[in-house]
Amino acid sequence: MTSLAHGLVGRSDLPIPEWLFGWAAAMVLVVSFVALAVLWPQPRLQRDAWRPLPGAAGRLPVSRPVEIVCGAIGVFLLGVVVYSGLRGTQSSTANFAPTFVYVVFWLGLVPASVLLGDVFRAFNPWRATGRAVAGLARMVARTDLPAPLPYPERLGHWPAAAGLFAFAVLELAAADNDKPETVAIATLVYSALTFVGMALYGVEAWIRRGEAFSVYLNLFSRIAPFESRDGVLGVRPWLSGLPALVPIAGTVPLLAVMIGSVTFDGAAEATLWTNVVPDIAGFFGDLGLSARRALEVTFALGLLAAVGLVLGFYRLGVAGARSVGGGFTADRLANGFVHTLVPIALVYAAAHYFTLLLFQGQAIWFLASDPLGDGSNIFGTAARQVDYGIIGANATWYWQVGFVVGGHVTALVLAHDRALALYDEARLAVRSQYWMLAVMVGYTSLALWLLSRSNA
Amino acid sequence: MSRNQRLGLVLAAVAVAAIAFVLVSPGSDDDADPVVKTTPAQEQTTTEQDTTVTDQVIPSKPAAERIRIRGGEVVGGAKTITVTKGDEVRLVVTADAEDDIHVHGYDIEKRAGPGRPARFIFDAGMEGEFEIESHVAEDSGNEPLVARLVVEPA
Repeated sequence: MTSLAHGLVGRSDLPIPEWLFGWAAAMVLVVSFVALAVLWPQPRLQRDAWRPLPGAAGRLPVSRPVEIVCGAIGVFLLGVVVYSGLRGTQSSTANFAPTFVYVVFWLGLVPASVLLGDVFRAFNPWRATGRAVAGLARMVARTDLPAPLPYPERLGHWPAAAGLFAFAVLELAAADNDKPETVAIATLVYSALTFVGMALYGVEAWIRRGEAFSVYLNLFSRIAPFESRDGVLGVRPWLSGLPALVPIAGTVPLLAVMIGSVTFDGAAEATLWTNVVPDIAGFFGDLGLSARRALEVTFALGLLAAVGLVLGFYRLGVAGARSVGGGFTADRLANGFVHTLVPIALVYAAAHYFTLLLFQGQAIWFLASDPLGDGSNIFGTAARQVDYGIIGANATWYWQVGFVVGGHVTALVLAHDRALALYDEARLAVRSQYWMLAVMVGYTSLALWLLSRSNA
Repeated sequence: MSRNQRLGLVLAAVAVAAIAFVLVSPGSDDDADPVVKTTPAQEQTTTEQDTTVTDQVIPSKPAAERIRIRGGEVVGGAKTITVTKGDEVRLVVTADAEDDIHVHGYDIEKRAGPGRPARFIFDAGMEGEFEIESHVAEDSGNEPLVARLVVEPA
């Protein structure tokens, strides 16, 4: 079993060299202690500084016609994925569906969200379909539809966390992960579940809290300087959407899934993991599972363990921060700092997947011309190839380390600012910082270690 | 701490980072570290027949890396072939059954069969780790990995 990156591309990055690992790890410590000394003494990021863009610049990008066009594009692409996955060639590299879902959609929308804001909201095919169906039903019935059920508070972000975990299992543990048919069927199943969720709790409630990809990309879009409110697009300082995140039930596990799944993808190629795989898989084989199933179960368990490790480490840091006093519950603190994990999750994904996006992303040009792999050439681009020469190993390493250290700094800044806002006493704020700092250094070192041990 | 002190501390940290980077990073001059690099010739264990053949054709070039596929399995397991960017990769894959051997990334595919080995000769122009796979094994659901080609930066 090989990870998806290999299944689709057959190319992986070289591990970062030892000297760069050592330098980066030292930098993380220098940065951390300098940050403690120089960061501002009063909270700066907690107030809302959103202001609308003037005139058409504010209204046009989020107007109804634009929204309808974007939604239609999203629904069309969903259709293309399902159709080409079911009807096209079953070679993963010659079919539109795997590359579109795993690379363009899953990876490509992350930088788009970080730079431009919540673009997926406009293109979300499930939201567009849900709204269209609701609008049609209103027209036919000529009355308002019955109100959806109130979204249960205890459900919170749990469906999104479960959805992302399921996606990670499909991507990293399932044997047929890159088979076009698998991708199409998974898309259909997920669409059906999303429609059920939206029918029960209303389109907006489900999109905001339950729909995994909306929630995932919305978290990243909080870094962006653009946000739309009440039909007007506005600007805000970078990162300022993160402190405004209101944690609900399941938000912390959601972040743990985001960080843990990338951790597992990296660690799955390290000898630490490959050495124990045969033993665990052998155990399940003895229980009567086929070799294939045994491997799948083993990888799913490894994924779960990685998520649990990330979650446990965070709760440990929170327990430490709690011990400095201030009278907060562990949950209050865990939720209070959870937004600081978003940049960490981002750079984990960025460092691990940016070359996959850069290289395999190019494949979408020829796959778009021949989505079924039957030799057609719709846009005349079917003969294009992936150019693996656009970025070399050295540049890749610097970008990877730059992402990781940058994410570390960002997380520290966010945690520092939140601590100042949370604690009345500056002394307690500083002491709680040591614990959060330890958490950040832990995650960052893990990220660097993964880059140095395995091929991203 | 005053504004100037903060600024000074940041500048000092940047200076430390830059100096440390220069100190630990291998410069472009001493990059050709002979300990790290293994060309195909150095780690090569060829049969006599192979060396004679390649030596006759192009005497100055390193001998070809040989991979044997017997009964759908790679003899000795999938190994890692490490070269430096710009090197010429020479690869001979022999198989006891019809097979398609694919070097990913470089996207070179050749047929191999009994008595007709697949011979690859190409310049390693792209850095990274590339899989060399058997399409026959892949299509039949077996482990397709034949070897890994690691191209390190020059």
